Amino acid sequence: MAFHVPRGGLQQMMKKGTRYLEGKEEVVFDSISTIRELGDTTKTAYGPFGMNKIVQNHIEKLFLTSDAATMIKELDIRHPAAKMVVMAAHQQEEECGDGTNGCVMLTASILHEAEYLLRMGLAVPELVSGLQAGLQAGLSEINGLTVHTVDLQQIRDVNAVKYAIKASLMSKQLGNEEFLSNIIAEACVSTLPKDAIRFNVDDIRVCKIMGSNLEASKIIPGMVFKRYVESEIQNVTDAKVAMFNCPLDNLQTETKGTVLLKNAEELKNFTKTEEAQLYNAVKAIAESGAKVLVCGGKISDLGLDYANKMGLMTVRLNSKWDMRRLAKSIGATVLPRLTPPSADEMGFCDKVRVEEIGDTRVVSFQRSTSRIATIVLRAGTTNVLDDLERAVDDGVNNFKLLTKDKRLVAGAGAFEVELAKCLDVHAEKCLGMEQYGIKLLAKAYEYLPRQLAENCGQNPSKVISRLMAAHAEVEGSTIGVNIESEDLQDAAKNGIFDHILIKEWQLKLAVNTAITILRVNQIIMAKRAGGPKAPSQRGGHWDDDHDEED
Amino acid sequence: MAAIKNLNPKAELARNHQALAINISAARGLRDVMKTNLGPKGTMKMLVSGAGDIKLTKDGNVLLNEMQIQSPPAMLIAKCATALDDTVGDGTSQLICFIGELLKEADSHIADGVHPRLINDGFRLASVEAKKALEDIAEKRDIDRDLLLQVARTSLRTKLDADLAEKLTEAVVDAILAIKKGDEEVNLHMVEIMEMQHRSAMDTQLIKGLVLDHGARHPDMPKRSEKCYILAANVSLEYEKTEVNSGFFYKTAEEREKLVKAERAFTDQKVQKIIDFKKQVCKDDGEGESSFILINQKGIDPISLDALAKENIVALRRAKRRNMERLALACGGHCMNSVDDMTPDCLGKAGLVYEAVLGENKFTFVEDCVNPQSVTLLIRGPNRHTIAQIKDAIRDGLRSVKNCIDDKRVVPGAGAFEVACHQRLIEYSKTVTGRQALGVRAYADALLVVPKTLAINSGHDAMDVVVTLQQETRMNNVPMGIDLETGEAQIPGDSGIWDNFCVKKQILDSATVISEHFLLIDEIMRAGLATLKAGPAQ
Repeated sequence: MAFHVPRGGLQQMMKKGTRYLEGKEEVVFDSISTIRELGDTTKTAYGPFGMNKIVQNHIEKLFLTSDAATMIKELDIRHPAAKMVVMAAHQQEEECGDGTNGCVMLTASILHEAEYLLRMGLAVPELVSGLQAGLQAGLSEINGLTVHTVDLQQIRDVNAVKYAIKASLMSKQLGNEEFLSNIIAEACVSTLPKDAIRFNVDDIRVCKIMGSNLEASKIIPGMVFKRYVESEIQNVTDAKVAMFNCPLDNLQTETKGTVLLKNAEELKNFTKTEEAQLYNAVKAIAESGAKVLVCGGKISDLGLDYANKMGLMTVRLNSKWDMRRLAKSIGATVLPRLTPPSADEMGFCDKVRVEEIGDTRVVSFQRSTSRIATIVLRAGTTNVLDDLERAVDDGVNNFKLLTKDKRLVAGAGAFEVELAKCLDVHAEKCLGMEQYGIKLLAKAYEYLPRQLAENCGQNPSKVISRLMAAHAEVEGSTIGVNIESEDLQDAAKNGIFDHILIKEWQLKLAVNTAITILRVNQIIMAKRAGGPKAPSQRGGHWDDDHDEED
Repeated sequence: MAAIKNLNPKAELARNHQALAINISAARGLRDVMKTNLGPKGTMKMLVSGAGDIKLTKDGNVLLNEMQIQSPPAMLIAKCATALDDTVGDGTSQLICFIGELLKEADSHIADGVHPRLINDGFRLASVEAKKALEDIAEKRDIDRDLLLQVARTSLRTKLDADLAEKLTEAVVDAILAIKKGDEEVNLHMVEIMEMQHRSAMDTQLIKGLVLDHGARHPDMPKRSEKCYILAANVSLEYEKTEVNSGFFYKTAEEREKLVKAERAFTDQKVQKIIDFKKQVCKDDGEGESSFILINQKGIDPISLDALAKENIVALRRAKRRNMERLALACGGHCMNSVDDMTPDCLGKAGLVYEAVLGENKFTFVEDCVNPQSVTLLIRGPNRHTIAQIKDAIRDGLRSVKNCIDDKRVVPGAGAFEVACHQRLIEYSKTVTGRQALGVRAYADALLVVPKTLAINSGHDAMDVVVTLQQETRMNNVPMGIDLETGEAQIPGDSGIWDNFCVKKQILDSATVISEHFLLIDEIMRAGLATLKAGPAQ
């Protein structure tokens, strides 16, 4: 049993279970085929007629969605190359909040085309430099493809905003886009600060309540919490609101305290003084003019009793974040101790009341000039509600993009065909090998409108050829796929727009991911570590600033 | 049967040729992995850890650390290469290629019947001569920004793609120049490397100030302040438990309230002192009021935060210790351990302090410092592996610039040194008598692995390039390197391709030592540990 002499290979040199892949066949082509499969999965969900998918994640939660970001996030992908695409999609979600499916498909189609060229004998560095040239060309071409703008005045006009974000909602909630775009535009415009760039997507809250249907959804200016009030009083108008993030109870020392009683008299006195103290504290708050008391900590029975006596409506909020949002919404300052608030520390609400929506009771804090708006969504099942929420998020993100950049490009595949045409023209002018890379990118872009047509049940080849012909005729044409018939339509005229930043990031991320994958020539995979997952970073010390609500 | 088998029947061993073969094949195996990394046109490797995390790298050192190597000789080489990286920060791939090549050359001589000891002697002689050659070939240069840029560029280009390398080159050099104090040795710890996962890699930048990876802890604190005074403190602004067991006794609620107040008073006093100090320092001088930033190494509890927020003081709690040190260097002032003796002299100054929020993470930027002696390189990238890749590259880039400053000389890169040194060693071998000359010649040939690999990685013919370089070097009498675009010869200095003197020297040293180890081993033994796990427990 002597040593066996390892023969050149690296395999024997490394720990058992390590996988080592090398060479074009094993690494590049294998990665490409995996990513193509990923692209094939998401592509049927692309566009307004995309199919929904049911995804069950590792904790057996069910997702019903056509949103690619959700799908691949919940799929828990292991393949290293496919994981890079997931990361690109994730990045797209972070930067734009929309357009993930396009990003995944574009990456997949670039790699699909690249495989063909690599098999033909093109070297990887040549292909990569071509793709880089294509990326540069594409980014500069995109600027010329703007067809519609929403400038700073229009961004406060509900109709102009609605017009601009409708197309993005169409691909998520076909048929509901009119209603949703209206409600989202209204909510966004109402909370838009003076300086439009400071618009925060967190200022649009969503409250999901089961039952009824989408048409029953509405906007409430202010915050809505799915909980019940503590006090007897449930309805207040024109109220001043005092907010505390301490318990509604007697003060306690941090050091352990012991009540030292020597006789029954002292015991009685102690209870009495304790009661009197709390009574005074609540009374002082009531006398400051506040009608509503919002508490971030525990509410003691005694405190509640006094609050009822003083006619204070009492609400308890569990989350520090809810406290902060409410404070922002009604313009209150959260006080750390039970002291009577001064006039400017109190917030103001037009209405604070308990409402019964369906059979869910909610507390709403409404203020006409609120900086936060809540969209109350109604639908039959949790899955539909979740999907609606994602659609609202995408819509709000699209609005956020409008505050960053006013430019929009034509949707319905028109942009992709036009960009492909521009890239093709650009490629013709290049003398070197990068011509292949640029042409490849142009070809990859054609996959998107093709899929759009296919998902609508049309003959993709027929539609694409018609599209190409239409675009070849006119410079900067906005003719796109018509989801209702194989006849084309003018996307710009029919108000189908996509945001330019979404397209820009799709291009950047897809090309960069493809390049990264093409450049790898060896993969070394350690044996998967077993055992329980590393403990999550959440929770723990009171000092940690985590979002507790989700 | 070897003697050890009699002593311990479970022992494993390999001897003589077998032992040598194991060693040589390990060295060549490692070389084969590293070969494709070398140079700006090298390809990348994808490493997947046990937890499924992805890492993309071209850096030999990272690769060696992440690969789980178990073969004993390969481990020996890997450790030596890692040590090289620790001392000079670069050159790992080159070293491994060189060792692999040395042993390959040695192998062919041993096959012809030369004793390993003789070859080893030749290697030693050659190594001494090569180091002399290095001294001669290295160029003494004045250290200016241009030269440093060239050195940094040479190093970074081998780790990242050209555009990104170009961007980082300036950032790295400017960072070093900012923290460099006269002739003192550069302390690289004074360059903080911070990462933010967003946007693209090209947004990586140098901040002449500090970036802290946490934000102000109160929603009402200003997000952006100008003309700031910065108080760095190490004072606890929260209730601290007593060290001994203690308790309160009370019998009425009033008494308890008093105790609560007394408990707070200690902390409140400290907060009040800071607030008073702020009022004393920040007076309106007619050009807008200056702001006050408190950066505390210890905690600040919500009540204190509230009090500070009311006074418009931005307060950060639980800052890292190293950031506290850097803060003093970046903004001036010094860290306070008590609030009793604060004077305006202890305050640092910064033109701009603002907060950036990224998902759940907050970052505080301290910028516009006057004459900062500590700076931050802020890495941006769309995903974790990009950031890790840039981080490794920046580390190497910083080291190469530092090396250059320390060495005060540079070596022509792009394979030029190796070709010139090869020539010199061949000349030298003619003066060596005996069979050692074979070792010297083998050493010289092994050196050529660098230009050969560079050529292969950029798609040129290795032998063709080497011959061209040798000819050109001989004809022009200057070291000529390879132009990776064309495969022709060029003078590396003209294109600004410079390597570090100390890196080359270390490589020559380490490679000789390791190959000596390997050549002189004639038996590998492993005591039979099999008993530990053999068979199921009874």
